[in-house]
Amino acid sequence: MKQAERGILSAYDLKKPANKIAYAAMSLVIAAMVVSMLYPIAVAFFNGVKANVEVNTFPPRFLPKEWHWENYVTGWKYIDLTLYLRNTIYIFLGNMVATVLVLGLASFSLSRLNWPYRKAAYYFFLVTLFIPPTTYIIPNFINLKDLGLMNTFWAFWLPAGANAFFLLLLKSFFDGLNQELFESARIDGASELRCFFQLAFPLSVPIFATLAIFVFSNAWNEWFWPSMVLGGEHYPLSTAIKRFVIDARRLDTNIRFAILTMVMIPPIFVFLIFQRYIVRGLHLGGVKG
Amino acid sequence: MNETAVSVSPPKSAVKGPKRGRWRKHFWGYAFVLPAVIIFLLFLWLPILKGIVYSFYHVDFVKGNTFVGMDNYETVFRDPVVWKAVKNTLYYVLLCLVIGFWVPILFAIAISELKKFQGFARIAAYLPYVVPVVVLYGLWRWLYDPVGPFNAVLMKLGIGQINFMTDTKWSMISLVVMETWQQFGSAMLIYLAAVLSIPKDWYEAAEIDGAGVWKRIRHITLPSIRHQIALLLVLQLIATSQGYQSQLAMLDGGPNNATLTYALYIVKYAFNNLNYGVASALGVLMFLVLGVLAVVQHRLSNRGGDAS
Repeated sequence: MKQAERGILSAYDLKKPANKIAYAAMSLVIAAMVVSMLYPIAVAFFNGVKANVEVNTFPPRFLPKEWHWENYVTGWKYIDLTLYLRNTIYIFLGNMVATVLVLGLASFSLSRLNWPYRKAAYYFFLVTLFIPPTTYIIPNFINLKDLGLMNTFWAFWLPAGANAFFLLLLKSFFDGLNQELFESARIDGASELRCFFQLAFPLSVPIFATLAIFVFSNAWNEWFWPSMVLGGEHYPLSTAIKRFVIDARRLDTNIRFAILTMVMIPPIFVFLIFQRYIVRGLHLGGVKG
Repeated sequence: MNETAVSVSPPKSAVKGPKRGRWRKHFWGYAFVLPAVIIFLLFLWLPILKGIVYSFYHVDFVKGNTFVGMDNYETVFRDPVVWKAVKNTLYYVLLCLVIGFWVPILFAIAISELKKFQGFARIAAYLPYVVPVVVLYGLWRWLYDPVGPFNAVLMKLGIGQINFMTDTKWSMISLVVMETWQQFGSAMLIYLAAVLSIPKDWYEAAEIDGAGVWKRIRHITLPSIRHQIALLLVLQLIATSQGYQSQLAMLDGGPNNATLTYALYIVKYAFNNLNYGVASALGVLMFLVLGVLAVVQHRLSNRGGDAS
C-alpha cells in the first residue's frame, strides 16, 4: 500500500460501509458547492443573451430559448467600459508605483540600513495597523478635501503609500535577503539607491508580485470610496458598474446581465491562467493577516 | 534585525564633525524612510487626529468649524437609531459566525480528502472572489428577487414565496448567505494548506491505536489548524464589525433600518445628513471598541507566525 496516498481516511476505512456512505455524501456536498459556485456565473451569462421578456418570465428558465448576442452590442454602447477600465488601471498603476517607491524604500531602510531611532520609526508605521479604517473614514474624506485632492487620482495614489501591512510584508521579505550581497555591492562602491533598485528590487519580485495582486484586487473591487472621492468621468470600473448599471432604473435586465458578463469573464480567465501565483500570494497575505 | 543590518559608515577619517558626520553616515537611511513618514503622517495620522478633533466640532465646509464640546457625543447617545445600529452590527457579526465561519473549515477538510478533482474544487470555491463584488451584488439582487430563481424553487417545493430582501426577518440573513458564498474561498485556501501540511503518519498512528475517523478529525486535524482558526476568527470579527458595503449596496440599510450597521450609520451620517461632527464622534467610539480586538489579533498573528 502506498503510504503517501492516505489522508485522514485510509484505504482500510473506505472498506467500511458507514465510511463509504459518509465519503459519498461528502463528495456530493462538494459537488453541490461547486455547482452553487458556477451556477450564478452561468446564470449571468445566459441571462445576458436572452430576450428581455424571457429574463423576466416566472419561473425563470436556465437556458435561453433564442440567443440574442446583440445584447452585448447594446450593452457596449450603453456604458463606456474602456474609459472606466482605463481609470481602474490608472489607479492600479499609480498605487503600485507608490507601493514600490514609498513602501519599498522605507522597508528597505528599516530592514537593511542602520540608523538611530529605527525601532521607533518602525512602530510609528506599525501602530496604524491597530486602527480600523472604518473608524476614520469620515475625517479621511475631509482630509482629502482639505488637501485639494478631490476628483484626482492623487487621492488614491498618495494614500496607497500609507499601508502598514504591505510595509510589514516587505520588511520581513528584505530581512530574509542575503546579507553579503549588499555588503559586496557597497564595497564595490554602489550607492544605497543602486542597492535598492538593482539588487533589492529585482530580488523581491515575488513579494512585489504578491502585493500587485492585492493592490489590483483593491482597485478592481473598491466601489464606494471612489464614488465619494471621484467624479463621474474618473470612476473606476466597479463604481461605474454600481452607479450606472446596477442602480440604473431604466435599463433592461438582459442588457444589465450582458454588461455584468462582460465585466465578469475577463478576470475569471486571468485568474485561471495565473491561478497558481495568485493563490500562493493570497495565502501569504492571509496568514499574516 | 539589528545584527542583519549593515552600517554604511564611511571611513572615520572622512567624517568631519561628530554631528555632521552622523547625518552623513545615516543620510540614506533617513532619505529612504522620509517619504513614507510624510505619507503616513498626511494620510493616516492626520485623519485619525482630525477625527478626534472633529468629534468635538460642528463641521461646516462653508462657514468654518465651531467648537461644540460634548454635543456630538450627546447626540450619539441620545439617538435611538445608534442603538439599533449597534444591535444590527452585533446580529450581523453573530450571523456571520453562525452561517459563515465553519463553512471554510468544513470544506477544507472535505476537499483535502478528495482523491480526484481537488484542484478543480479549490478553483471553483475561489471563483466568486475573482469577480468584482459589484457584479455579484447585481447578480444576487436578481437571484433573491421575489420572482427570481430561488423563489421559483421554493414555489415548486410548495414552501411559498420569501421576500429575501424586503422582509426584515430575512434581509440580514440573505446578505450573510451571499457574503459567505462570495468569501469562503479565500479562508478555505488557508485552512486547506494547513490541513494538507499535517503529517500523514499521525493519522496512521492514530488509526493503529484504534481511533475512528471522527476521532482523528477531532483530535488531530482540528487541533493542528487551531492557530489558523483563531486568527481567522479574530480577523472575521474585525472585518464584520466594520461591515457596511454589502448592506449599503444591496439594501441601503433598509428595509426599516433592518440592515443598518454601525459603520453604515457613520457613512450615512456623513454623506446623507452631512453631519461630519457626529459621524466623527461615532468613529471615535467605534475605535475605542475595535482597538481592543485589533490588539488581540496582533497577538494571535504573532503566535501563529511562530508556530508555522
